[in-house]
Amino acid sequence: MKKTILFFLFICFIACKNDPNKQLPEVLEGESLVLNYAKGFSVIDYGTYKILEIKNPWPKAEKTYRFALVQEEMLPKITLNSDEFEGIITIPIKKLVVTSTTHIPSLELLNVEQTLVGFPGIDYISSKKTRNRIENGLVRELGKNEGINTEVLLELKPDVVVGFGIDGNNRTFETIKKSGIPVIFNGDWVEESPLAKAEWVKFFGVLFNKEKEADAVFNTIEQNYLEAKKLAKNTKNQPTILSGAMHNDIWYLPNGTSTEAQLLKDANANYLWNDSKGTGSLSLNFETVYSKAKDADIWLSPSNYTSKEALKNGNSHHAMFEAFQNNTIYSSISTTGKSGGILYFELGSTRPDLILKDLIKICHPELLKNHDLYFFKPLE
Amino acid sequence: MPNSKTYNLSFLVLFLILMLCFLTNISLGSVYIPLKDVFNSLIGSSTEQETWQHIIQNYRLPKALTAILVGSGLGISGLLMQTLFRNPLAGPFVLGISSGASLGVALVILGSSVFGGVFMTFLISKWSIVIAASLGSFLVLLAVLMVSLKVRDTMAILIIGLMFASITAAIVSVLSYFGSAQQLQQYIFWGFGSLGNLSWDELMIFFIIYCLGLIISLTSVKSLNTMLLGENYAKSLGLNIKRSRFVIIIATSLLAGTITAFTGPIAFIGLAIPHLTRQVFNTSNHKILLPAVFLFGAIVMLICDSIAQVPNSDYTLPINAITSLVGAPVVIWLLVRKRKMVF
Repeated sequence: MKKTILFFLFICFIACKNDPNKQLPEVLEGESLVLNYAKGFSVIDYGTYKILEIKNPWPKAEKTYRFALVQEEMLPKITLNSDEFEGIITIPIKKLVVTSTTHIPSLELLNVEQTLVGFPGIDYISSKKTRNRIENGLVRELGKNEGINTEVLLELKPDVVVGFGIDGNNRTFETIKKSGIPVIFNGDWVEESPLAKAEWVKFFGVLFNKEKEADAVFNTIEQNYLEAKKLAKNTKNQPTILSGAMHNDIWYLPNGTSTEAQLLKDANANYLWNDSKGTGSLSLNFETVYSKAKDADIWLSPSNYTSKEALKNGNSHHAMFEAFQNNTIYSSISTTGKSGGILYFELGSTRPDLILKDLIKICHPELLKNHDLYFFKPLE
Repeated sequence: MPNSKTYNLSFLVLFLILMLCFLTNISLGSVYIPLKDVFNSLIGSSTEQETWQHIIQNYRLPKALTAILVGSGLGISGLLMQTLFRNPLAGPFVLGISSGASLGVALVILGSSVFGGVFMTFLISKWSIVIAASLGSFLVLLAVLMVSLKVRDTMAILIIGLMFASITAAIVSVLSYFGSAQQLQQYIFWGFGSLGNLSWDELMIFFIIYCLGLIISLTSVKSLNTMLLGENYAKSLGLNIKRSRFVIIIATSLLAGTITAFTGPIAFIGLAIPHLTRQVFNTSNHKILLPAVFLFGAIVMLICDSIAQVPNSDYTLPINAITSLVGAPVVIWLLVRKRKMVF
């Protein structure tokens, strides 16, 4: 009897166990794009088409946006239910419009900058490659991001518009969508770490069938970043850092969970507000900042002040800090392109390795002797 | 009507409250400084920590003095406007002084995007903003005054003032549309208002212009009282209406214009302090009202600033929001309690 029960249990066990072979075809069906840091998007490649999901285009977004990216040659052979997707896009993209300067470096790193046909506020673009194209009349001005000139955009007939939004309310994008041009929201700015922001180069890689190139580009950036981080970690000296500046009574500075603070941590510097948490920047009282950071070794990114004189004119209290007296203030907004766009804003999120190297050079001058400051300059 | 002896007592009480608010304002802040060190710092002795001395002498003290100048100055300019236009809704905000100042500041900060090179060379410094705000407010008020010479109906003048404010707001909108993110940020920060942004040098210049406005206001007490009786009656008493109007406008634009220029637009005070004072003092005599508005304005502003600094917290709130949030309910409560407006 016992044997019969044991045999019965054995049969049950065998019967209940999942057959791995049965699930295999599903796994093989779609191959997910490997993302190590970015959380805001995902891509599954089904060979003839890809599904792109944008999960977090703005903080607390409630909806996931799904796009079907169909290979050009497969277009006549595939039928997809358009109700399931925000848009069905033919890849590789031939013509596109992006809306943030942070998107430009990805296009250039993938050598597809010639696909850019329009941009809102082209004066903000600093990169030489794209500026040349602008000067040759190959990139059209589209006005402002909040009010893109729809007529010009429709005339350009881009395959896709890569937008960004601080929330879901942008009427211009709605109009563009209605006219049949898909709008994909890029959420690189919502990512919480410098490398996650940089990993969005893979998002552009997918649009252009250049996943391998994007992978290589990102791997180099990641490797450079991690090597620099390791180098900085070995030094014992941790300079204290003050950031931001006063506007009227309020001192605005990045919080401890911001990417700016993470970069400083990775540069082995002691950012004085490392412990603060929250979204958005901190708005502190002068008294608090002064009593904590009067003797700070280095003052980074003093808002939009471009000289010590302007900083003092903006508020006389700025001159009371040691860093002001010791000339250890560094700003990234003086490094601009031909038409005044700030390079740090454009290239910074794609190249965190360069920012990190700058910060290491500033905080630990004995390291990275061959590195010249790329974004930051001492305030004069 | 209470006799003058009662008023003297009220003034004494108000003055003592003002002193108390002043000292409280200086001793409260984000950084805890023991009272002993606050006093030591005020009399120039050394404090336990060097930073405390700078905070008291160069931040809290000028800020408290600015609060007194702003509160009293805006209150007085509101009183002058209300009497001049014989309208309880009149005040520097309603008649376009603030919108004029906003236009001036917008032209300097945002104008470079629209007008290009010419404005770019005009450095955006604190002084250019002060000058632009003063000019803007003076010009808009002058325009309202010119119209008021033609139009007799005071309500019409008020509406014209509002229309001027709308026009300037529209121009500011156009300038904002073309402004860059940084310029917009700078302009919005100006709009929040700020009391703690003045150095001693700036405060000195502010004080001189303020005194000029205050003295002109004091010399106008007689004509203000006569105006309350109506223009025809005032004329029959031998008052030169045109001259008096002009003098009062100058005093107002000096006071409100300079305050807006140095500290940004501060809401509520100009309109409400005169009403608060009239409710408490129950008189329309400017000899009593003017000093009373001075004291009330200064006290309310010091209280608002103390609240805005959020004692013992790292944060600070925009003063412009606090003045309305704290002050408006007080006026509503007084009006409901007394069931009528004293005017």
